[in-house]
Amino acid sequence: MMNKTSYLRSFSVATASAVLLSLPLSLQAQTPQVSQAVFMDGLESPWDMAFLPNGTMFFTEKCKGLSVRLPDGTVNSLLGMSGTDGYSMTAADLFCNGQAGMNGVALDPNFDTNNTIFVYSASRMGDSPATNRVIRLKVSGDLSSVSNRNDIVEKIPYKQAPTDHPFGDAGAHNGGRIRFNPGDGFLYVPTGDNHNSSLPQFGDNLGSKVLRIDRDGNAAPVNADATPDGFDARIFTYGHRNVQGVAFHPQTHQPIITEHGPWHTDELNALVPGGNSGWDPRPNMAGRGDCPDDYCGYEPNQNEGMDPDERRKYMPMTDYETYPDAMRPLWTNNNYSQGISSAAFLEGEQWGDWHGRLVVSFLGIGFGDTPVGQRINVIDLHPWGPTIMDNREMPLSAGPARFRGLVMGPDGSLYAAVDEGQIHRFTAE
Amino acid sequence: MVRILACAMTIALISTQLQAADQEAGKSLYLSNCAQCHGPTAKGMASFPSLAGREASYIQSRLETYRAGERVGANSGLMIPNARDLSDEDIANLSAYISENFK
Repeated sequence: MMNKTSYLRSFSVATASAVLLSLPLSLQAQTPQVSQAVFMDGLESPWDMAFLPNGTMFFTEKCKGLSVRLPDGTVNSLLGMSGTDGYSMTAADLFCNGQAGMNGVALDPNFDTNNTIFVYSASRMGDSPATNRVIRLKVSGDLSSVSNRNDIVEKIPYKQAPTDHPFGDAGAHNGGRIRFNPGDGFLYVPTGDNHNSSLPQFGDNLGSKVLRIDRDGNAAPVNADATPDGFDARIFTYGHRNVQGVAFHPQTHQPIITEHGPWHTDELNALVPGGNSGWDPRPNMAGRGDCPDDYCGYEPNQNEGMDPDERRKYMPMTDYETYPDAMRPLWTNNNYSQGISSAAFLEGEQWGDWHGRLVVSFLGIGFGDTPVGQRINVIDLHPWGPTIMDNREMPLSAGPARFRGLVMGPDGSLYAAVDEGQIHRFTAE
Repeated sequence: MVRILACAMTIALISTQLQAADQEAGKSLYLSNCAQCHGPTAKGMASFPSLAGREASYIQSRLETYRAGERVGANSGLMIPNARDLSDEDIANLSAYISENFK
């Protein structure tokens, strides 16, 4: 299926540890002074943000829709979901349930000339099954309204009904972050597996994938060169479980994603074109028997605490035995699943030694004996190789929270959407 | 008469202290074990339901059900291990704290 090589493949966690341990203290990074403050409060499940250079911040709320905060603090409500009022446009088909709703937001790289914005949202049109859509909109010059809705991707799978699984409600494993890669100019759209084992390894659907498309929703022309025959041309990578974070290395533009693990093994992956992330929760294969509702994702024991290492052996996040060419994760969160949610790169001299470092957020999940782990990790990725030079935690002067989305602001601060209804700002000096 | 009054005052004092202690113990348990998913104001987050407006008897009944290892709802797998080690007193304190403070 795949025969690609990348320097990233040769990486292993053991290598990272060895490198870290061998660094003399003098070469290890000095921690900048970081303060954490509440930037916005009183929101409902804020999910993602996107900034203009002057500090204007677009943000989504999972069950309400898209709004924009102007630099003077004024908030304009732009695209409202079903049941909302006070928005410049209300779309009755947009709805939320469980993990699904209005998720990611991204600004067109040419926003200053085309005023175009994109959101990812669950949608139910008439009697048709609900799907996730990537929606393109035009923002008015005064940033008070949106118009010209155009759904550039219409059929990203949405979990229709509850199943017998942890977090088993409809709308589960819904992906949803969207980001433009400044390197190639394409929009990257990570999706989820919907607790449906027929999605990850099959290219006839858009679930469990990272899509790479242009601003009209067309496939990036080179996608199909790298994916297996017959795959939908919009697919960039496949075999993912549930990807909620994507960021691009500031120098190499290497796409880095975060992938939620199944009671074990959150993953940080460096994507290669056509790569398989190796998630395949089908029953009756790879040593497994039948599973609840045909999905083995939480087996062998989906309701009780269990050693994550034992889980990993039975239902691996990346199944190298079945897929020897699968992308090897950069990091596996010490085999824990703690709700890895988003990623961004710190930029600006005020971050000192942390300038250019990857930040990765966690919602926190306390299952079995796993520590809850609400935090933000600061990871030093070697720019020219697959090596983690350093991995430590961001100091949280205002305390932990369910960190959902990370975005760098134009002021050089890191902004974090938290499920508690706030947007936090981390400022370095 | 004086003795009865003193006795009544003592009972009132103890009762107030007990109530305060219950609330504090419930708060401490809530913040360390529940708030990370149900939220600091119990209004629920992500896949985790709101507890606001629930009667103490409802909270108590659910926690006892989970403690017994019985499944109820999609998040039983998370709640059963969390409730397993709670004492009757813990459950009473949590139920009182949640129902009194998040309406």
